[in-house]
Amino acid sequence: MNGMKASFFLAWKYLSFNKLRTTILIACVTLVGALPLSLNLLLSASERELMARAETTPLVVGAKGSDLDLAINSLYFTTVPPEPITMAEVTQIQTSGLAIAIPLHTQFQARNFPIIGTTLDYLDLRQLTVAAGRNFSILGETVLGADVAATLNLKPGDTLVSSPESVFDFGGVYPLKMNVVGVLEKSYTADDNAVFVDIKTAWVIQGLGHGHQDLAQPEDSDVVLEQNDNVVTANANLTQYNQIDADNLASFHFHGSTDTFPLTAVIAVPQDDKSAAILRGRYEVSEASSQIIQPASVIEELLLEIFKVRNILNLVFVLVSVATVVALILVFNLSLRLRQREMETNFKLGCCRSMIIRLVTAEIATILVVSLGCSLVITAGTGVFKDRITRTMLS
Amino acid sequence: MEQSADIQPVVELTNLEFQYDRGEFHIKLPNLIIHRGQKVAMIGASGTGKTTLLHLIAGIRTPLAGKIQVSDVSMNQLSDSARRQFRISHIGFVFQDFELVEYLNVFDNILHAYRLNPSLQLDEAVKSRARELAAQLGIVDKLKRSVKALSQGERQRVAICRALLPQPQLILADEATGNLDPDNKQRILDILFRYVDEQPSTLLAVTHDYELLERFDRVIDLKTVMAIAPALSETTQSVASPLAQKRQEETV
Amino acid sequence: MMFRFNSHPFSRIMVVAIATTSLIISSCAPAEVNENTEQTENTEQVDGSAVTTEGSQSLIYVSNYPLQYFSERIGGDQVKVELPVPGDIDPAFWEPSADELAQLQTAELIVLNGATYEKWLQTASLPQAKTLDTANLFQDRWLSIKEVVTHQHGPEGEHSHEGTAFTTWVDPTLAIEQAAVIRDRMTTQFPDQADLFATNYKALEQDLTTIDEQLATLVVDSADQKQPLLASHPVYDYLAARYGLNLRSVLWEPETFPDEDQWAELESMLAEHPAEWMIWEGDPLPESVERLRQLGIESVVFDPAGNVPEEGDFLTVMQSNVENLSPVFAE
Repeated sequence: MNGMKASFFLAWKYLSFNKLRTTILIACVTLVGALPLSLNLLLSASERELMARAETTPLVVGAKGSDLDLAINSLYFTTVPPEPITMAEVTQIQTSGLAIAIPLHTQFQARNFPIIGTTLDYLDLRQLTVAAGRNFSILGETVLGADVAATLNLKPGDTLVSSPESVFDFGGVYPLKMNVVGVLEKSYTADDNAVFVDIKTAWVIQGLGHGHQDLAQPEDSDVVLEQNDNVVTANANLTQYNQIDADNLASFHFHGSTDTFPLTAVIAVPQDDKSAAILRGRYEVSEASSQIIQPASVIEELLLEIFKVRNILNLVFVLVSVATVVALILVFNLSLRLRQREMETNFKLGCCRSMIIRLVTAEIATILVVSLGCSLVITAGTGVFKDRITRTMLS
Repeated sequence: MEQSADIQPVVELTNLEFQYDRGEFHIKLPNLIIHRGQKVAMIGASGTGKTTLLHLIAGIRTPLAGKIQVSDVSMNQLSDSARRQFRISHIGFVFQDFELVEYLNVFDNILHAYRLNPSLQLDEAVKSRARELAAQLGIVDKLKRSVKALSQGERQRVAICRALLPQPQLILADEATGNLDPDNKQRILDILFRYVDEQPSTLLAVTHDYELLERFDRVIDLKTVMAIAPALSETTQSVASPLAQKRQEETV
Repeated sequence: MMFRFNSHPFSRIMVVAIATTSLIISSCAPAEVNENTEQTENTEQVDGSAVTTEGSQSLIYVSNYPLQYFSERIGGDQVKVELPVPGDIDPAFWEPSADELAQLQTAELIVLNGATYEKWLQTASLPQAKTLDTANLFQDRWLSIKEVVTHQHGPEGEHSHEGTAFTTWVDPTLAIEQAAVIRDRMTTQFPDQADLFATNYKALEQDLTTIDEQLATLVVDSADQKQPLLASHPVYDYLAARYGLNLRSVLWEPETFPDEDQWAELESMLAEHPAEWMIWEGDPLPESVERLRQLGIESVVFDPAGNVPEEGDFLTVMQSNVENLSPVFAE
C-alpha cells in the first residue's frame, strides 16, 4: 500500500507538471465517457417531451388521409394543413356527450406564426395560463404564445394583422387586424409560437363572417345596390371591416349554419375509456368521411423509426471509444519512451521491479478518475437541465 | 593511509569476469578489495569499464562469472529484486549528470529513493532527516523550489542528499564532479568525505579529475587490476595512491 | 489503504466523484413525480368534472332569470348562481363587454338557454367544457319566426327577430325539460349530492306542472280555443304551440307608444285576425291601452320574466300570468 501511495504521488506530480498533455488526455476520456451518457439522457428526454404532447392529446378527428400529417399538424402546427372537415364534426361529438370536442383551425398565419382558431378549452387542455392580460373573450381578440409576443414585441393592447393567403388574394381572405388581449406563459412547446384566436375569428379571416355598415340604415346610400322587402344587396363599395372593436362588434355575423364551416382538425377529450372506444368505433366504419387517430400511437411509431438513429450513434460512440483508447495507449507508450532516462535512473537507484507498471497504472488511474469525475459532473448537469435543454432544442 | 587487515572489506571481488561494450572480448578481474572507511578513486581511460564495474558492484548488472561480495552479501547470487532492494538501501549512487527528476521539487527529489521501493519506509523521521541533510549541505532554503532553478553545484548537492538519505554503507560516485567548476568540485568532495568519516561509510568514486586524486586514500587504475581475455594475467595487484606506489617501488 | 484526506489530491477526487453521483441520482427522482401530477390535473380540468373542494359553493353563471331560478331551486345551497345581466336589460339582447365575458369564464358552470337565445354567443368565447345548453335536447321542437329585418328599440338599440324563436321556457313543459338538463349536469359534477338535486327537481317539476295544468284547463275550458289573439312581441311562440293558440305578434314595446305605421299595421292585421285581446310582456302605457280599447282590444300582461322581477320569483310571476290570462279565455 505504501508503494501504491508513492506511485500515485509520483503520477500526480508528473501529470501536474505536464499540464497541457494531461488536460488533453482528461478531455478526451471525459468526452468519451460523458457524450454517450449525456446524449442518451437528452434523447430519452426528447422522446418523453415529444410523447408527452401526444399523450395529452387523446384523440384527433380529421379528414381521411395521412395520419402522421394530421397528428403533426394538430400537435405542432407545422406542415401544410390537411384537408378541412366541418364544424358539424364538433357538434356531433358534443351532442353525443362522449367527449369534449375542441376545434382546430390552422390554415392562416400572422407574420409567419400560425394562427390557431380554437376554443378556450384548448388552453385548458394544454394548461396554458396567461402571463399578461387575459384570455380572448370577444370576436377579433387574440392571445399570443410567449415566443410570438417576444419576437414581435407585442403586449396586450397592441394589434396583429393576419397575412393574406396570397398577394393576389383580394377577393377572398380578408386580413384581419386582431386585438392582442393577452400573452401566455412560456410552455416550451409549439404553443409558444402560436397566435390563438376563437374559431369564429378564424372564420372571419376566412371571409365566412363579417361586419359592415347596417345595410337597412346605410350611412352611405351609394352602397345599396337594391332593396326589396326583406333583402338588401350591397355593391362593391361596401367596406368590409378589417378590425373588430366595440362599435362594430354588434354588426358581425355569419351567414349560414356554422356547422358547415371548415376546420382542420378536432381534438376529442373523451369522458372515459368506454366513451373513447365508442367514439373511435364511430369513425372506423368505412363510410365515415373523416378519420380518428390516437396521436400517442402515431408519434410513438414515428419516434421508434427516428430513434433507431440512436443505435447508429451508439455504434459510433463505441468506435470512437476504441479509437480513443488506442490513441491513449499510444500516448502513454510514447511518453514512456521519452522518460527512458528517468526510468533507467530509477533502476540504477534501485527501484522495485514493478515500478514502471505501478507508475503507468497510477497515471492511467488518476486520469480515469478525474475524467470520470468530469463525466459525472457533465452528465449530472445534463440530467438536471435535460428538460430545459430538450425544450429549447425542440421549440 | 595504510590498509588495515582487521577492518571489514566492504567490497570484495573475486575472479570476476564481465563483458562491457558488446565487444568480442570480456574483462577478467582476479581480485579487488575495498575496506570500510576507505575513500577510493578509480581512474582509467574512457571506455575501460569503470562504470560497468560500478554497476556490477551495485548489482545493476550481473557478471559472467566470479564473486561479488558487498558487506557480506553475495550480489552475484541474489535475485534481481533482492539486488534492487539491497542497492536502494545500502548503496548510494551519485551520477555525473545528477539525474534529478524535473517534475519534482528539491525536497521530493531528495526523498525520491523512498518512493521507488516499498522496502524503504517513508515516514516523518525520514523527512526530518532529509531536512537536516539539506541543511548540512546548504540547500534547506530551496526545498520547495523546482530543480531547474538551481545551479549545477546545488543540483549535485541535491543528488548527494538523495544518495545519502538511506544512510548507505557504500557510496558509488560515477564522475560526480565531472560537470562542476573547480570550487564546487572541492566542496562536493568535502561533503562526500565528511559523510564517509562520520557515518562511517565507504566511497568508491570513478573520476577523471586528476587534481582531486591526492585527497583520496587509494587510487585504483583499472587497467592494472584487470586483464583482457582471453589472456588471463596471473597476478594483479591493487595499486595504492601514487605516494604509496612510490613507497612500494622503493620497497621492492 | 489510508489516504490522508486533507492533503492527498486523490481523495479529493473521490469525494467530488461521489458527490456528483449523488447529484445525478437526486435529479432523476423529482422529474418523474411532477409528470404524474400534471397528467391527473389535466384530465380533471377539461372534462368539466368536480373541481371544487368540499363544503364550498360552486359558482354558476346563467344567461337569463328563469335559468337562475331553476338552478337555485335544484342546486340549493350547493350553488351560488349569478346572472351577470343588468336588471333593466332584456337578457336576450345583452351584449356583454370583454370584462363581463372574462368574468363568465371564471365560472365552474355556465348555464345557457340555447335555441339561439344568446345572440352574444356568436361573437363571444366561452370554454365549451363548462357551458350547458339547456334547449339542445329538444332541437326538433324549436320554432322559427319570420319577421321584418329590423326596427327601433329601447335601451339596447336596434335588434331584429329572425330565425329561431328562443323564449322556450314560457312553455312550462319545456321549462321542465330545461330544468332536467340542469339537474343532470349538477349530478354529474357533484355526484354525492345527487339525491338532493333529484328531490329539489321533483318539487320544481311539480310546481311547473301545476302551472301547465292551469293554463291547459284555461284554454280547454274556454268557449273558443282558437280565438284570434295578439301578442305585443314575438315571445309567446312556444306558449301558443303548447296550448294551440291562434296567436300573431306585432313588434311593440310596453313603454313605447306605437307610431302611426305600427297602428296601421295592426289594423290591417285585424282585418284577417280579429283579436279581442292583446298580450303584453309588461305593463303597457295607458295611452296604448286606451287606443287598443277603441279598436275593441283589451290588454293583459304575461311577463316572460326574462330578467329578475321586481317582486316575487319566477313561480309567482307565472302564477300571476295565469291569473291575468283567465279573462282572455273565460267566456
